[in-house]
Amino acid sequence: MLSFIVRRVLAAVGTLVLSSVLVFLAVQALPGDVATQVLGKDATPDAVAALREKLKLDQPAWERYADWIGGALHGDFGASLVSGKAVGGEVGMYLGNSALIALVTVLFAVTGSIVLGILAGLYRDRWPDHLISTVSLVGMSVPEFVVATVLVLCFSVALPWFPAVVLYGPEATVGQLMPAVWLPALALAVVMAAYIVRMARTSVIDVMASEYVTTARLKGLSTWRVVTRHALPSALLPTLHVIALNVAWLAGGVAVVENVFNYPGIGKLMLASVQNRDLPVIQAIALISAVVYVVCNLAADLGAMALNPKLRTRGRTR
Amino acid sequence: MPDIHHPGRRSVLAAAAAGSASLGASWLLTGCTGASAAPALPKGAKQGTPDRGGTLRIARPPASEAETLDPASALSAYEYLGALYNRLVRVGANGDLAPDLAESWEPDAEARTWTFRIRKGVTFHDGHRLTSADAAYTLRHILDKETASPQAAVLAPLVDPKKLRTPDAHTLVVPLKTPNAEFPSLLTHYNCYVIPDGSARGIGRTGIGTGPFALESFAPAGPGRITAFEDHWAGRPVLDAIDFYSVADMSARSNALLAGQVDLLSQTNLDFATARVVAASDRATIARVENAQWYVLPMLTTEKPFTDVRVRQAMKLAYDPEYVVKVALQGAGTPGWDNPVPPSDPAHLATHPEHDPEQARHLLKKAGHEDLTVDLYTSSYDPVFTPMALAYQDSARRAGIRVRVKTAAADSYYTQIWMKKPLMATYWYTGRPVDQLFTQVFRSGSSYNETAWSDKGFDALLDRARQETDDTRRRELYGEAQTFVVEKGGAMTPMFADRLVGISRNVRGYAEHGFEFDYLGIGLKGA
Repeated sequence: MLSFIVRRVLAAVGTLVLSSVLVFLAVQALPGDVATQVLGKDATPDAVAALREKLKLDQPAWERYADWIGGALHGDFGASLVSGKAVGGEVGMYLGNSALIALVTVLFAVTGSIVLGILAGLYRDRWPDHLISTVSLVGMSVPEFVVATVLVLCFSVALPWFPAVVLYGPEATVGQLMPAVWLPALALAVVMAAYIVRMARTSVIDVMASEYVTTARLKGLSTWRVVTRHALPSALLPTLHVIALNVAWLAGGVAVVENVFNYPGIGKLMLASVQNRDLPVIQAIALISAVVYVVCNLAADLGAMALNPKLRTRGRTR
Repeated sequence: MPDIHHPGRRSVLAAAAAGSASLGASWLLTGCTGASAAPALPKGAKQGTPDRGGTLRIARPPASEAETLDPASALSAYEYLGALYNRLVRVGANGDLAPDLAESWEPDAEARTWTFRIRKGVTFHDGHRLTSADAAYTLRHILDKETASPQAAVLAPLVDPKKLRTPDAHTLVVPLKTPNAEFPSLLTHYNCYVIPDGSARGIGRTGIGTGPFALESFAPAGPGRITAFEDHWAGRPVLDAIDFYSVADMSARSNALLAGQVDLLSQTNLDFATARVVAASDRATIARVENAQWYVLPMLTTEKPFTDVRVRQAMKLAYDPEYVVKVALQGAGTPGWDNPVPPSDPAHLATHPEHDPEQARHLLKKAGHEDLTVDLYTSSYDPVFTPMALAYQDSARRAGIRVRVKTAAADSYYTQIWMKKPLMATYWYTGRPVDQLFTQVFRSGSSYNETAWSDKGFDALLDRARQETDDTRRRELYGEAQTFVVEKGGAMTPMFADRLVGISRNVRGYAEHGFEFDYLGIGLKGA
């Protein structure tokens, strides 16, 4: 078991190193010289040369990479080219706001969709299954910004229950952001839920058809007990992976939804820095997204191992 | 991005976001109702007098994360400036110059030295009295290289900061390097708001001016609040306060208006679909800033085939501006007839050559360009670019010109396409005085000369005009300059477009034109 964990962690670290190289290369490969891109077309050659020196563009690429990754490992992502503030602190502030949305979204999506998925599985091919499957399919097919806009129309414009946009900046407190969190979270959850619902449904159907469930039933256990004690853990197993991937997808999904709601999160910061060509900020966000992605997958693998007796005991029998 | 597109440059945010999130509430609503059944858009804001007091909430597009309240900066938070500060001279509703902090101004006989009489009894928000020293300092601050003010490029060739004189507390004397009868008009720019003497270091955060509102709080690209300044020299404003919120995405801005979270969308030209939804809602309606921007199809006069003046003339005669206004603006604008001076400007020349596809054909034949094919670049940077390009393409076909419309990326449009491709679509905000307009956009070698047009005769005409002290004669010369641009220049100016402004039905006394906004008179009903 230990060797399995070590292998997975090593693979995760390797992926991170590789993605940091790719992020760095991708940013370097942006069209045009970085210095001219930042300063715009009216820049004097002197200003361009000064900025090139400041950004250390005159050094070879591998040295710049070593500098950047060395700083990043110590939490120093450099300074924003636009605001001049430290990238780490700025990204952290926006990331915190996004984490609030992500947390609410995951709570909504995971609890809601697992319950729905199990219901659909238990009522296979009857009307609750048809209803849940169709609605979740529609949710899966509609892009998140359309869902977000429909939610705004219904619950901000027609019924003034929630604010349509956030009017505060990134320094907003949790209390100020809380009323505005629900609609974006719901929009993201709707898109996310579809995958989890369908996965949970399939697993429940598989498990309920398996021999050990039949045995459990024959022993006279109630349906509730069969579902919670036997079917649920096995059905959760394949679902976990989907949940982990979805949480990773959130890192990109929030970019669009946050802009619809003017929510001061990482997605809004990302769009603004791409438009401003604020390279240190883009690099930091890309790297952090990669970390989120890798960590989510790692957590899913380890979680799967914890729930799967075969994986869990493999180390011991060897 | 060229500074001169400020504040228009903010729309790049909306345009780039359009790829991902342009489906605002409006799109879905028009999808339901059918755009064809939509009523005509309102012509103006609600009339009537506002009640005293209340807080107006304005959503604005942020200029940058590095926004500042320094009026001279290229990154100034535009909406705050007119509320916090005053200029020496402003543009009146009829387009003529009007006094602001300068009560009067007069040139010497050859318009080489200008004397401004500074208003008495004006106080800054921090209580100190306005004197000519503040006015002189403001000019020096704009010209200071450290400030990097866009307006420095216009004023530096005229004004030597060391030669400014303040003979008494209320007189400012500005000796010019070359005579210029239009000099006061150059001080109406939004970079020229007057700041206190010696305030360069802090003005970006304190916002201390003489304007009708004083700063309470400000965060770059974030929220801010200004409150009525009781001691304002022109009287207290109607409102008690204004809250500013920065919202980068255009559909988010209009959603905030529709949901009643804000009362006014500043510097936002709503697209027609959104405007119809806003006009049809209970809470909000549409006001217009007439002829707020002028659209251009600049032909690079250094690139073939536009090096030949006959081809440029043919391109202009070939299309019908009235058709382009009808198609691209749905009638919400005025045909430009290739003259960049807006119809509201007192110097505007109303006569123009008629649309003549036959003559265009003839000119092309003479120039050896029968069956001319040209590429015309557009982008989603502005929603009108592509409809305008398609309308031009359609209209010019009658003269036998084949136009291929090509779409370029929005976020690099002003670095990769503008002033690089021989033919493209672009726009400017109106509100520039005529002398500044010609000098910046049409004079040889100017940094914003987007057609790379260079004509010694035109430059000489401009010099004659700006040195002419007789107002009538000068206006005639600027009229000749317009004819010159229309007949020989490289810029096609199909139209002036109204800006469609989203505004709450409770707002009264809204008045905006060019770079002027009436912060004194605007208010709310039932405040």
